[in-house]
Amino acid sequence: MSTTLTVSAALAWRNLWRNHRRTLIMLSAISVGTWAMIFLTALTQGMVTDMVRQGLAVLPGHAQAHHPAFRDDPNIVNLLPIPDSELESRLVGGDFVAWSTRINVPAFVASERETRGVTLLGIDPARERDFTFVELDTIDGRFLETADDTGVVIGRKLAETLETRVGKRIVVMSQSPDNEVADRGFRVVGVFRAELPSQEEDYVFVGKATVQKLLGVPDRVTEAVVFGNDFRNPEPVLGQLEGFVSADGVTAQSWKDLDVYLSTTLAAMDGFVLVWVIVIFLALSFGLVNTLLMAVFERIREIGVMLALGVKPAAILLQIVLESMLLLGIGLLIGNLLAFASVELISDGIDISMVADGMEMMGATSRLVPDLRMQDVVLANGVVLLLGFFASLSPAWRASRYEPVEAITTVQ
Amino acid sequence: MTTSHRMSLPALAGTILLAAVPAFASETPSADDIVRAAVDQWRGLSSQSEVTMTIRRPDWERTMTMEAWTKGDERSLVRVTAPARDRGNGTLTNDNNMWSFSPKVNRVIKIPSSMMSQSWMGSDFSNKDVARTNDIIDQYTHTLLDTRVDGDTTVYEIESVPLEEAAVVWGREVLLIRDDYVIAEHRFYDQDNELVKTLTSLEIGELGGRMVALRQRMQSVDTADEWTEIAVLSAAYDIELPDNLFTLSNLRNPRD
Repeated sequence: MSTTLTVSAALAWRNLWRNHRRTLIMLSAISVGTWAMIFLTALTQGMVTDMVRQGLAVLPGHAQAHHPAFRDDPNIVNLLPIPDSELESRLVGGDFVAWSTRINVPAFVASERETRGVTLLGIDPARERDFTFVELDTIDGRFLETADDTGVVIGRKLAETLETRVGKRIVVMSQSPDNEVADRGFRVVGVFRAELPSQEEDYVFVGKATVQKLLGVPDRVTEAVVFGNDFRNPEPVLGQLEGFVSADGVTAQSWKDLDVYLSTTLAAMDGFVLVWVIVIFLALSFGLVNTLLMAVFERIREIGVMLALGVKPAAILLQIVLESMLLLGIGLLIGNLLAFASVELISDGIDISMVADGMEMMGATSRLVPDLRMQDVVLANGVVLLLGFFASLSPAWRASRYEPVEAITTVQ
Repeated sequence: MTTSHRMSLPALAGTILLAAVPAFASETPSADDIVRAAVDQWRGLSSQSEVTMTIRRPDWERTMTMEAWTKGDERSLVRVTAPARDRGNGTLTNDNNMWSFSPKVNRVIKIPSSMMSQSWMGSDFSNKDVARTNDIIDQYTHTLLDTRVDGDTTVYEIESVPLEEAAVVWGREVLLIRDDYVIAEHRFYDQDNELVKTLTSLEIGELGGRMVALRQRMQSVDTADEWTEIAVLSAAYDIELPDNLFTLSNLRNPRD
């Protein structure tokens, strides 16, 4: 059997290069197809990863704990029933990459000229530094330093709208749990940049202790946020968080429940990649089957002679299939190399700020960084090899079933 | 109107007030004392007044007549009496809180913090201007910049800078207060020291037994053809007002 295989392989290889022009055309088709499958998938995955990353950076974390009513009504009334200090001492014991507790309430900010509705985040800056969407290195002024910092940090867009800047005062207005107006002046200590303009517009950071005092809710917060290692698998951290808070009637949810749009997009993406690979393969397969059929028709007499000399039909079948597999194998190799090379070439991302507005609507930034994932590469190669094998069976089967006498006497 | 010093309710220089303030004639009073006296002047211990408010915009102008009551530092009630379609609209304030009532929807609405910066009844005054009348006393540092003699009245020019944590957007405010405690002018500057708007007393006279601004205009610097003017028709000060005047039920169902 092994001799049959060696001989068949040798014959297949030679046959492949008998008509080198046709082989090269087919090879380039397969290479380009494979390249397109992998490269474009990497780009799309990059976009989705970016969307999810941005989405997670802004709010959900990987998992969050809230008062059960908070998500329907993000009101200061719906505080976590656990005191903040107690909550923190519980979270310290968890196995999280990062965690934080925050006050997150709707508020208004006013300058001399404008008033805008924003999301007010009362944070402990030391805890948020590691994962905030604020680009800390390009901040104008400074970020908050302590939880009782009396300054406010706003986004560049918001600063433009309010016609304010670092050093000026703005008024932050919100409501206390008993419905009283809670407002005070804050000096702008920092103006941040973020990847998305909407983040610069919507989020205002103040010290957690300062906002607790302002709203009259000492040692209380509205949410606890935790981060794990892999956002695609938030269950381990969610489980831990639940263990910490569920006894007090607090709801813990992973980002997949908190932001259904994001998680659905992510799930749809995996399906989309498979469809995409199959569509490209279908286009390729016509070329492949046609090439193999041509190769078989050209050699009817030769196959007849081989059969007449006692070569088994199975060996003929094997030889044709091997031919196809060699062709696909070389094509895939070149295609993969091309794809890896082009992903490497643009690994810093490509600037698509031309369509930044559209991208922002999806929650993605204007820099597209490809995300090459091994499972997508394996999927593309696997699909091509598997379907290529089935596609080549038909011409191979036909070749192995020739009647030797008829085949030999066929006039070509 | 009652509710805002910026609208400078006529105020009667009651003898009690005068007694409380050091005699200005002998020595220059402190800036804090002048501001406090001016606020007490327009508000009195209590007051009842009838005012008209004229709102001017480039392509329209309208006038409302209102009746207003105040009591103490914190409570006030304003009710529109004319024109007929606005009749019954009311505003009640109590300790920085504010409620509004409209007979058309028959609902009392508590003005949330989000609406405090919005316009009060479509005028150039904000809800905050109306509800936060005490801020000028306890949320600012006052400095006496200048004392001028204008004819037979002395005018104090006072600079008021909001405290660091005050819920005030202005960089500084300048008050021109006459020695009879009538605020002649109130200028609002932004934090770049540019004048943004001015509340000017166009007419000052005696009403209800005290000197008050009879007609005041609030005007932004940017919009020359937009302003709000408040004129006091009649006023009575330091009168007996029942506490149940300043209640939500009275806001909704006036007891006449």
